[in-house]
Amino acid sequence: MDAIYAEHLFKTYDNVNYALSDLSLSIPQGTVFGFLGPNGAGKTTTVKILTGLLRQTSGECTVYGYSPSQNPCDVHRVSGVMTESAKMYGQLTGMENLVFFAQTIGMEPDACAQRAGELLKQLDLWDARDKKLSEYSTGMAQRLSLARALIHRPPVLFLDEPTSGLDPESAQSVNEMISSLAAVAGTTVFLCTHQLRYAQDICSSYGIIDSGKLLACGDFQTLCDGAGCHIKAGFRLAEGEQLEGYEQKDGWWQTELLKEEEMPLLLQKIVEDRHNVYEARLIRPTLEEVYFQYLEHQEATT
Amino acid sequence: MKLVSSAEKAVIKKDFGEVWNTKMARTTLILVPAVLVVAIPALFLLMIYLVPTSQMNGVDKMMELLPPEIKYYTQRQAMYYFLTNYLCPMLFLMIPMMNSTVSAACSFVGEKERSTMETLLLTPLSVKQIFRAKVYGCLLISFLSSMISFVVFTIVVSAGDILLKMPFFFNWNWLVLVVLFAPALTIFGVIFMVLVSGRSKSYMESIQTSGYIVLPVVLLFIGQFTGLFQLDALLLFFISVGVLAADAVLLLIASHSFTPEKLLR
Ligand SMILES: Nc1ncnc2c1ncn2[C@@H]1O[C@H](COP(=O)(O)OP(=O)(O)OP(=O)(O)O)[C@@H](O)[C@H]1O
Ligand SMILES: [Mg+2]
Repeated sequence: MDAIYAEHLFKTYDNVNYALSDLSLSIPQGTVFGFLGPNGAGKTTTVKILTGLLRQTSGECTVYGYSPSQNPCDVHRVSGVMTESAKMYGQLTGMENLVFFAQTIGMEPDACAQRAGELLKQLDLWDARDKKLSEYSTGMAQRLSLARALIHRPPVLFLDEPTSGLDPESAQSVNEMISSLAAVAGTTVFLCTHQLRYAQDICSSYGIIDSGKLLACGDFQTLCDGAGCHIKAGFRLAEGEQLEGYEQKDGWWQTELLKEEEMPLLLQKIVEDRHNVYEARLIRPTLEEVYFQYLEHQEATT
Repeated sequence: MKLVSSAEKAVIKKDFGEVWNTKMARTTLILVPAVLVVAIPALFLLMIYLVPTSQMNGVDKMMELLPPEIKYYTQRQAMYYFLTNYLCPMLFLMIPMMNSTVSAACSFVGEKERSTMETLLLTPLSVKQIFRAKVYGCLLISFLSSMISFVVFTIVVSAGDILLKMPFFFNWNWLVLVVLFAPALTIFGVIFMVLVSGRSKSYMESIQTSGYIVLPVVLLFIGQFTGLFQLDALLLFFISVGVLAADAVLLLIASHSFTPEKLLR
């Protein structure tokens, strides 16, 4: 069974424009799924539909086999959700907030406080536990929201831009936390983000969405193949030397490879041709390149 | 089956704190009853007690409105009877109406305004459970405040009764008023506010709409002064039953209109 499954989802707010059109997803358990797309692409809309806050106009979706529109309580029991618009109580302290949300899940009072303390320490909020949330900084409040989403150790996590307001250090520790949750606890993570570098580090699979349409979906290799981005071999040679059939970029002579295994032979040949090779490396496509490739292609076709 | 689960209890408790921590709501919950059941009755009592009877105007006209058994009262006593049975019921009923609307506005509209409703909806509590917990919380606050107000009111008015050597003020009218009419209005106020909360964007705006509830009740009591009708216990009983019936219908409508999509709009 897929942890998150969607089939032909459509969503319109005003019966004119479609925020989502024909979105189908199938995300196996334990995947960290990076959901990428420009502003207004429909990421938050998707999360809201999958968590039962919005009703799709048509189509089907399930989270752990439960339908968000029919059994929202079951979906909420198995999932932790963090969105920008879901705020916590300003007049309560960080600790009180977490304990309150733990209680709504039906946890025992002792267990609530213990689990809340654990998360506050993990997210570096322990010192601010008795401060009112209204006195928290944006990043602190955001980390507290993440703690709330994690409080019942849900097997599915929906995170809508969890690191957008965080400083680099916190962002890194949050990302490490997400990776380790997936690796250790087998948590499925649905991660909407604009931070493509981080996404490439922690996601095992991706979806690229624009104007409500899913442009690509799959692991990084699938995405690369779909976008026509290939691995390249790059060589830095002595000043003035040239390589026939290569293109020069940023001081590197580059050529596309079909696969990594071609590299040793290529290097051998260049050395045999008596070139002075200072450096040789494989240049892998980045998620950023692949992402822009898809969006450019999309713009060109519409 | 428990009446409320521990999760719902947590929501009720949280709402209590939230209402209490909203300055506007807290002021309403304390100041309004203090003025209506302590300050105003005490002031009138003082006036009735101190002003010489010869200077009171229109007392004869007023006496015509009063039931026949009052004929043997002195003018002061009759004035006080008028105060406790015609004016004070109206003042007292303001309390459940104000308290229920203010606490419901705080609990429903306030939560929406501060975008915490979405977070609450993401918990495993069902929308129905959240609705129920919040309605219970508001009712509890209003009942509690009305009850305390009535106890204080009883003390203040009894002081006057003793001072003017009159029988204890409590009668059938007051019984129906406290046990039936006030609770019916409390429920009405809460549900009315829930329905309005779907439309109003801000907390203050929704408080203003509560005027629509207060007005008919004021008119009902002032209407007596025209001499066209008398609010006796039986009439009050039927009006209360009518309001309770309206409560039931509104509750049905409100609980159906309470869906995530509508709440987050
Ligand atoms: N409540 C709403 N009412 C009407 N239209 C909406 C509403 N919420 C979103 N939309 C529209 O739906 C589309 C998708 O919005 P959505 O919030 O899902 O984008 P997003 O991918 O999360 O963007 P961002 O990266 O800026 O967070 C947008 O065109 C937006 O204008
Ligand atoms: Mg968004």
